[in-house]
Amino acid sequence: MKNKRRKGYAGYLYILPWVIGFFTLQLVPLINSFAYSFTSFSILGSPEFIGLENYRKIFTTDPDFLQSLAVTFRYVVMAVPVKLLFALLVALILNQEIKGIGLFRTLYYLPSILGGSVAISVLWKFLFMKDGIVNRFLSLLHLVPLDWLGNPRLSIWTIGLVTVWQFGSSMILFLAGLKQIPKVLYEAARIDGAGSMRIFWKITLPELTPILLFNLVMQTINAFQDFTPAFIITQGGPMKSTYLYGLMLYNQGFKYFKMGYASALSWVLFIIILFFTGLSLKSSSSWVHYGDTL
Amino acid sequence: MILIVKIFVLCGFPMGFDNTQKSMNKEESMKKVFVLLSVVVIAMGGLFANGAQEQENASQEKSALRMSWWGGDSRHKATLDAIAKYQEKYPNVSISGEYSGWDGYYQKLVTQLAGGTSADVMQVSPEWLDELMSKGNVFAEIDKNLVDTSKFDKRLLDEDCSYEGKLVSMPNGISTQCMIIDRGLLQRSGINPDTVWDWDKIISMGKKVHETDPSCYFNGSDPETFRYFFELYMAQIAGGIIDDDKTIMCTKDQLVQAFTYFKQWFDLGIVEPFAQTSLYYMKWDQNPTWINGKSATAFCWTAIINMAGKKDMDVARLPIMENAVDTGVRMLPAQLFAVNANSKHKQEAFKFMNYLYNDPDATSILGICRGIPANSNALDQLSREGKVDPVYSKATKIGLSVVGKKRSSWQLNTQVMQAMQDVIDEFAFGKLTSEQAADKFLTNLQNVLAEI
Repeated sequence: MKNKRRKGYAGYLYILPWVIGFFTLQLVPLINSFAYSFTSFSILGSPEFIGLENYRKIFTTDPDFLQSLAVTFRYVVMAVPVKLLFALLVALILNQEIKGIGLFRTLYYLPSILGGSVAISVLWKFLFMKDGIVNRFLSLLHLVPLDWLGNPRLSIWTIGLVTVWQFGSSMILFLAGLKQIPKVLYEAARIDGAGSMRIFWKITLPELTPILLFNLVMQTINAFQDFTPAFIITQGGPMKSTYLYGLMLYNQGFKYFKMGYASALSWVLFIIILFFTGLSLKSSSSWVHYGDTL
Repeated sequence: MILIVKIFVLCGFPMGFDNTQKSMNKEESMKKVFVLLSVVVIAMGGLFANGAQEQENASQEKSALRMSWWGGDSRHKATLDAIAKYQEKYPNVSISGEYSGWDGYYQKLVTQLAGGTSADVMQVSPEWLDELMSKGNVFAEIDKNLVDTSKFDKRLLDEDCSYEGKLVSMPNGISTQCMIIDRGLLQRSGINPDTVWDWDKIISMGKKVHETDPSCYFNGSDPETFRYFFELYMAQIAGGIIDDDKTIMCTKDQLVQAFTYFKQWFDLGIVEPFAQTSLYYMKWDQNPTWINGKSATAFCWTAIINMAGKKDMDVARLPIMENAVDTGVRMLPAQLFAVNANSKHKQEAFKFMNYLYNDPDATSILGICRGIPANSNALDQLSREGKVDPVYSKATKIGLSVVGKKRSSWQLNTQVMQAMQDVIDEFAFGKLTSEQAADKFLTNLQNVLAEI
């Protein structure tokens, strides 16, 4: 009995760092931000309770809210599907048994290790600026150079490409999913005379749908919260065409120091993400196939 | 180590290979060892921490100060050298520098102030002073017994370094506004580089730059710097945009006049289009158009003229119209130094500040890394030593000769500036006519002023 209790203590001891981290760095700020969302709080002064005023302002008078929400939706709708498509395509290529495949897998995963960092955003700026490499390449092909980041209609798509480029983690999951598909299914299909496309649509894709669901949910959550590319590359411009929700939230909190308002904005974003995550999961029953339902 | 062994023995762990060890469940034993090792590691951490505490107590006589600033490499090096010299002179004080570029400095500073972790001596921008002091008395009143303020312009100290009558900061340098010009490009465009500019000349002569070479522009302002021109123009026709009482000073007609005038800048290619400059927000000096010598002028604060980094660089007066209500040209302390109100070493911090401003060694080391010194003695010394670049001197002289009245802190509020910028951006992209821009400008300002 005593030994059992000791074992229990040891377990708690090992998870203690995580528990402390979770409580102090996540749970407490989470509760605090909820409380702050009902206050007027300028970070240097004391919070002052104002009830639902912040939420009222978000939904009635703040023009930036709708603007940034529209920009963010556009960004998510473009970046997430393209990223997943690209990740799946690369995973299918890297699933081939060819010489040096390990090296290729490593190379294709590299962009994800580099992440959505400041350095990558700066690199993007250099690639797509008016005298950047992309425009120089277009000039070589006698094509008209574009204002990739200066044109309000193009800029959000250019920013979205940074996210698409970081397809590595989704690709690895797809690759793992592809490895799990029983080979016997492919053998049976080939014996029945199925072509490659038919095999992909009837076996590979349905078998991958659980992974697809996971990637879709995670990437949607990430895309809604994206901040770095807009902050570093365009600072939300031109004409707020890349004013992502995350950047607006940051500006309210750390540029105007309206922490109460920024907290309310973050909770609104949480509800939006919750809604779309719920929608994805709810819809999954009609398109996600688990092994036994194929 | 002995302590660890003793703990193991006391806890009943076999330290030799005796018979009892064989009978012990190996897995259980390993688990216990790991748990105990974890405890020991934590305990040792505590012991070392205690050791560090003792060390700290032993050297308590030595004051440890922190100083934060933003700037470029030359400022970082000069400031670190000045700190090293101070530590050499006063071995009882150690100072650690916390330095970075401009981006994010303000956000970090405010977060540190809120968390009570800001440095003892902080470099701050004069535009932040009112905003920060109004939200909490974050800076200590300058102790004039420890900091010699006699060599500074009284107006500068009273207007730009004080809050509610208390001197809470000191100016590093004087910065005023001017126009940097590329003499070569102006000449190639058939324009006399010594022209004294006004708004009409910019239209009639400035357009020649783009006409001569369509890849060149008279001005390469980024959107924010372009707003400075707009505010300058408004100051000259209306005296300003917002006054000290938080009311809008200009009329719709005056705004329409300004927008109509600046529309010509875009239509005639006087200024580079925002589609090309919006990537260089507040970083016009990094715009390839400027770097490659395709932009003839730039609006600039004199303290940061070195950013322009050009061989054939000269300075000129900003455009001023005849019968202007106010010139609109601003003068500010380049940056300020302030002492943290919660610093444990205020006295030492003030002494160090005094050294930075008044010690000849510090003056010599720091040079003009923070602009032309606001301290008259320091300026004399640097002039004697030949450390003041003639372009700096000329720019400062030109700027000071036309300085206008102080701009209201409401007009300098971050949200107000953003509200103005949003309309100017839409106007520059052709989304608004002059009339629509003027209406939206007023509406945006009224909304923000009602809120702040």
